[in-house]
Order: sequence, then C-alpha cells, then structure tokens
Amino acid sequence: MTQEDDALRREIRDWIAREAPRDWRTASTHEAFVASQRSWFAKLVAAGYAVPHWPREWPGGGRSLAEQKIIYEELARADTPRLLLSFVSTYHAFATLAECASAQQRSHYLPRILEGETWCQGFSEPGAGSDLAAIRSRAERRGDVYVVSGQKVWSTMAQYADMCLLLVRTSADGPKQAGLTYLLMDMRLPGVSVRPIHQIQGDEEFAEIFLDEVEIPVAQRVGEEGAGWAVAQATLASERGLTLMELSYRMRGAMVRLSEAVHAAGRTCDAGVLRKLGALATRVDAVCALADRFLQKRMDEDERVGDASIVKLAYSRCLRAWTDLGVELADLAGQMHAPITFGDLNSGNWMADFMNSYAWTIAGGSDEVQRNIIAERMLGMPREPKNWITEAGQ
Amino acid sequence: MSEMRRELEDSARKVFPDWQAAQDAKASWAQMAELGWFMAGVPEALGGLGLERRDLAVIFTEMGRARMPGPALAQFLALEALVQAPDFPGREDLMESAMAGEAITASLTIAGEDLTAVPDADTADRILVRSTDEVTLINLAGAKITPFPTWDGSRRLFTVAPAPDVPRIPLAAGSEAAALTERLDGLLCLGLAGDALGGADAVLAMAIEYLGTRRQFDRPLAMFQALKHRAADLKVALETATALYEASSEAAPLALGAMKAHCCEVYKQVAEEAVQFHGGIGLTVEYPVHLFLKRAFLNRALGGSAAFWNESAGDAVLELAAVE
Ligand SMILES: Cc1cc2nc3c(=O)[nH]c(=O)nc-3n(C[C@H](O)[C@H](O)[C@H](O)COP(=O)(O)OP(=O)(O)OC[C@H]3O[C@@H](n4cnc5c(N)ncnc54)[C@H](O)[C@@H]3O)c2cc1C
Repeated sequence: MTQEDDALRREIRDWIAREAPRDWRTASTHEAFVASQRSWFAKLVAAGYAVPHWPREWPGGGRSLAEQKIIYEELARADTPRLLLSFVSTYHAFATLAECASAQQRSHYLPRILEGETWCQGFSEPGAGSDLAAIRSRAERRGDVYVVSGQKVWSTMAQYADMCLLLVRTSADGPKQAGLTYLLMDMRLPGVSVRPIHQIQGDEEFAEIFLDEVEIPVAQRVGEEGAGWAVAQATLASERGLTLMELSYRMRGAMVRLSEAVHAAGRTCDAGVLRKLGALATRVDAVCALADRFLQKRMDEDERVGDASIVKLAYSRCLRAWTDLGVELADLAGQMHAPITFGDLNSGNWMADFMNSYAWTIAGGSDEVQRNIIAERMLGMPREPKNWITEAGQ
Repeated sequence: MSEMRRELEDSARKVFPDWQAAQDAKASWAQMAELGWFMAGVPEALGGLGLERRDLAVIFTEMGRARMPGPALAQFLALEALVQAPDFPGREDLMESAMAGEAITASLTIAGEDLTAVPDADTADRILVRSTDEVTLINLAGAKITPFPTWDGSRRLFTVAPAPDVPRIPLAAGSEAAALTERLDGLLCLGLAGDALGGADAVLAMAIEYLGTRRQFDRPLAMFQALKHRAADLKVALETATALYEASSEAAPLALGAMKAHCCEVYKQVAEEAVQFHGGIGLTVEYPVHLFLKRAFLNRALGGSAAFWNESAGDAVLELAAVE
C-alpha cells in the first residue's frame, strides 16, 4: 500500500459515508429500484468512481489495478448497491464501442453512457442460446436502413434500456457465424416492444424484445455487414472476466452475512460448520486473487485464450457454494418466503441468493460452455466432430 | 512475473526438467545447493542472495513439480530460523554450512504436534525444534530415530526423540519464540502449498497428454466431453489456487495455513482424477501417476490438517459479525 493508495481509500470512504444510499435494500418496487440505481450511478460518475476500468481520457477512468481494487473493496465493504442498470452500458456497450465502433459512434454514445443512457444486450434468442451463432432475427437492407424482424430473449434490464447491442442475421449463406451483423438500436424506434420476464425468485431482471419491421439506419452498424460475430466477441469478452473483480469483492464483503447466519443458527461452536465456513472463506479469497491476476494480465496484454473463462467459472461455482452454505445454515427459517432485494447477489436472503446465482452459471456463456472453451482452446483437447446429423446418417 | 522469478523457474526447469530428473536424492541435493536455493532466502548481509518470500515460492513450486526427494523444505525452515534468531557465537559458520548444503532437519508438522515427520533424520546432524516457548537447534547424536515409512516414497520421514544431554543451541525463547514459531509454521505451509501446486500442474499435464494419445471408440479419449469438463474443472481449481498462492506469500500465518489446506485439497483432487483418467494403467506401479497421488495425500497431512486450518479460518470469519 502506497501513501496515494491510503489517501484514495480514505477519500472514497468519506465519500461513501456522505453519499451512498442507505435505504436501497428496502426499495420494494421496480420503479423505486430503477430510480435509486439512476441517482446512485449519477453520483458515482460525478465523483469519478463509476468507470475505473475505462481509459484515462474519461472522468474517473484510467485507474491502476491497485486503485480499482480499493474502489471495489470500499464499495463492497459499505454494502452499496451494485450497478445493475448500467452494467451493460459501462461494460458491454463500452467495450464494443471502444474496440470496434467508428470514431463517430464512439464520440456520440460514450459520453451519453456517463450521462445515464442505459443499454441492453440483444443477442440471445429462443433458438440461439449457447449456440449463439444460430441467431435468426433477420435484417434486410433497404436503401440506407436495415429492416429488422425477430425476437430476442433474456435481455437484462431491456425494459428500462435506451439502446440495444443487437446481433442479427443479414445472410443465410455460408457458415452461420459469417451471416451475422452488429447494430446499435434505439429502443424507442417503432416496432420495438419489450415484455419483462418473471423470474423464479420474484425479480424481473431480464425481458423479451420483439422486433417487428424495425428500421435501423445503416450508420448504426458496427463493423462491416457480415462481421457481427467478431464484434460480438468483444462484447462477450468484457463480460467474462473484467466484471468479476467487482463481483468477487462483493462476495468477500458479504462474508459477514454468513457469519451472521452462523451466529443466528447458534452454531458458533459447531466445528463442522466452522470448517465449511473457513474453507469457503479461503475459496472466496482465491477467487478474488484470481480476478486480480486476470485484470493485471489484461492490463499487461498478457491474457491467454481461456483465462476469462477460468475467472468466470471460478466465480460462478464459488457463488453457488456461497449461497448454498447460507441456505444450509438458515435451515427451516431460511425456507420462509421473504421479500427480495433487487439486483443483489449476496443479500443474505439465502433462497433468493441461491436462485440468483444461476445468473452467473448460465448467463454470458454457461458453465458448460466455459468448460468447453477451457478444454479445447486452453488444454488443447480436440473438438467433437461438427455435424452429428451427417455422422448419424452414414 | 518478475525477472528474478522467471530466472529461478527457468534454471529449475533446466536442471529438473521433469519428475524423473530429481529422483536421485543425493544428486538433486547437490544440484539444489549449486543453484543457490539454500542461500536464496538469506539476506545479503548474512552471505545469502536476499530474495523475498515470493521468490522462494517459485522454488517450492518447482520442488513439487520435480517431486523433490530429501529434506529441502526442512532446510528452508532451519535457515529461516537462523536468519531470524538474534546473533550468537557460531551462527555465521552454521549458516554458511547450511547454505552450502549441510542438512539441518526439522519436523514438517506444525508446532504443538510431535516430531513425527522429520525428513532424513538418519543422516542429518541437527534438528530444529520449535514450540511457542522455545526454538532450538538440537544435536541428533544419540537421538531415538524411528522410521515412519509413508505411502509417499518421495520423502523419507522419521519420528525423532532427541537424546536428553546433547548440545543445544537456543535460537529464541518466550514471546520471540512464539513469533518465530508462527513464522516458521507459515513458511512450512507456504512450502507445502507450493509443492502441491507444482505437483498438481505436472500431474494434470500428464493426464491431459494421456487422454490425447489414448484412443478408444475410434477417437482420442480427450474428445469426450465428460472428460473434457472434468479436466477443465481441475484447471480452474488449479489456476484459482495458484492465484491465491501467488498473492499470499507475505500473508499472516493463519491465512497461510488456510491457503495450504486449500492448495493441498486441489492437489489431491487433481491427482485423484488423474489416476481415474488413466484407467487400468494408472494402477500399475511402473506408471508414475500414482506417485503424485501419494505425495498429494502426504502434503495434505503435513503442516497441520485441513480440519485444523479450516476451523481456525472459520473462527476468524465468525468475528466479522458483531456478537450480541
Ligand atoms: C440472468 C441472465 C441474464 C442474461 N442476460 C442476457 C442479456 O442481457 N442479453 C442476452 O443476449 N442474453 C442474456 N442471457 C442469455 C444467456 O446468454 C443464455 O441463457 C445462455 O447463453 C444459455 O443459453 P440458453 O438459455 O438458451 O440455454 P441452452 O443453450 O439451451 O443450454 C441448456 C443447457 O445445456 C447446456 N449446454 C448447451 N450447449 C452445450 C454444449 N455444447 N455442451 C455441453 N452443454 C451444453 C447449457 O450449459 C445448459 O446447461 C441472460 C441469461 C441469464 C440467465
């Protein structure tokens, strides 16, 4: 810890004490939740803590690894709300725009993200989940617009989004990846309708998007027509890995909830419980260390194929174990239905937390898909034969 | 990785390219001395190389990868004790000969446990004995030394009862002894954890290579997703533990113990699966995969049990919540 680091820690601690919302856990309606998310984001932007992972030219950007750690640690320690509403805009949209978009698109959209414009990601479809390249939503070029029809699903916070990262099919020829095109869609365009999805824990974190002859200007395309797959990789890469440092620190910050659960269950002298608790705490530390190391590698441009998958899998499995121990400790009392806290993965409402943990074992490429990536691209284990229909027909 | 750590790793792999290269205990001991490993953690002012703990951590990992025989980890403990002890007559000579490779042994159990896991006690001249009251170097002349043959054949352990009237060199007493003992237990845990991760990495590579070459059902076994996913899970566990290890070299003793428990569990898990991945050949004594399994189990039992360390770590978590 250098003196500057200590100073930053004090600065952010003081700031949190003054500015962080306290009542957010009791926000009992979606409207109240969204309102509190917007005002919290605006405050973080103003103070320079919203986007420490952005480059230096942005206010609050260009933070070193040590500084990012401090910011996320302090935000977690003080139990401040996670930025769910601006999650896609500050990570996915940012990475896509920064890495793949035209200078004009960048200078138009990036400042608006800091002003609070929110984005959603319209990749998945009913027929295209893990097999993302199977996308069928169709975009047809007519003059200087694409006319898009189709359906997207599981789009996080789409019901509140201003803009959408949209992956569509412009051609049915050749390999399925080659026919995809990447568009930036205004959610207020005619023909766009959104329906929230009711989730098992009572939240409505994601939504379906229906697209009916939506006219999107060609100028809204990122990359060339047919190059959407490569652009989508930039979007996905931001999700696997980079986001997980903050989430890992939040899980560590929330170890206190497991501690409370042991006290509440009166099992502070139960050696079996203590062993599980201690082993889990060490595992959480290990996941934090892994996320740190990943970010350092990325900053040093030393990242290997599969590194991000390792971080994601390590986090998702650890989060599941974290929630699982909570459910176990809470025992019968934990089965009593309790109102949820929107957008919190480590709330201490154990059943809700457990169910919410699937978000990380399924979204952004499921655990199984990450295992495929690690095995095939990192460990060099051979791919399966591609086309089972042909094989079976032989 | 720093330049220094990369150099340590490169030179280790040149001398000990695989697990077989180090198996002649006498030769590998001389090679370690020649590589300067026993000087590594000793400050320059005392004639050593003045490397940090995270540099030593690289050496420990390489020892695990090579399934290093001999009492090297005990030697590191003895050297650390000599470095930390206040000066006494003869300290310099002792340190010099230990850096050159004259073996001082020590138990690979943590303080408070018996001297039941002392490597190469039958050939060493002295043993480092530590407790929270005192840390001493005791001459092994006349000691009762009973072999403790372990399933892991890579290290030779003994139970030791020093003779009552032999020369002793006190290194620390009272609160200083307690602090030094904690420090030594921490170093022991770091060493065992590094050994575990190096071994796990080697045995995982061995297993994946085997799956890639062994063909059944007209394809390499490595093509089966059931096996791929298990291999991927092992890789994730190993990388995660490695990140913790690299971040922990200067950690407090309790954190080092919990880290050791975590890393040794990962080694055991990787080695267990590696044997399974080999099928029948994995059960034949000529095939080396079982050697790692046995070392993994012994590592887990040395340096304090997982139950002990996890319980201690759990106690620390309990303190996070305000007690009514
Ligand atoms: C909380 C949450 C938020 C999300 N947010 C967004 C979003 O904002 N935008 C967006 O576009 N999408 C989003 N998604 C969608 C997400 O990307 C998909 O759910 C995910 O890719 C899996 O697709 P699927 O649901 O169709 O499952 P499927 O692909 O049908 O998979 C079903 C099961 O089969 C397994 N499986 C699939 N393929 C293989 C294989 N090759 N080998 C082994 N097992 C396999 C899967 O792992 C899974 O267990 C979100 C999902 C969740 C849960």
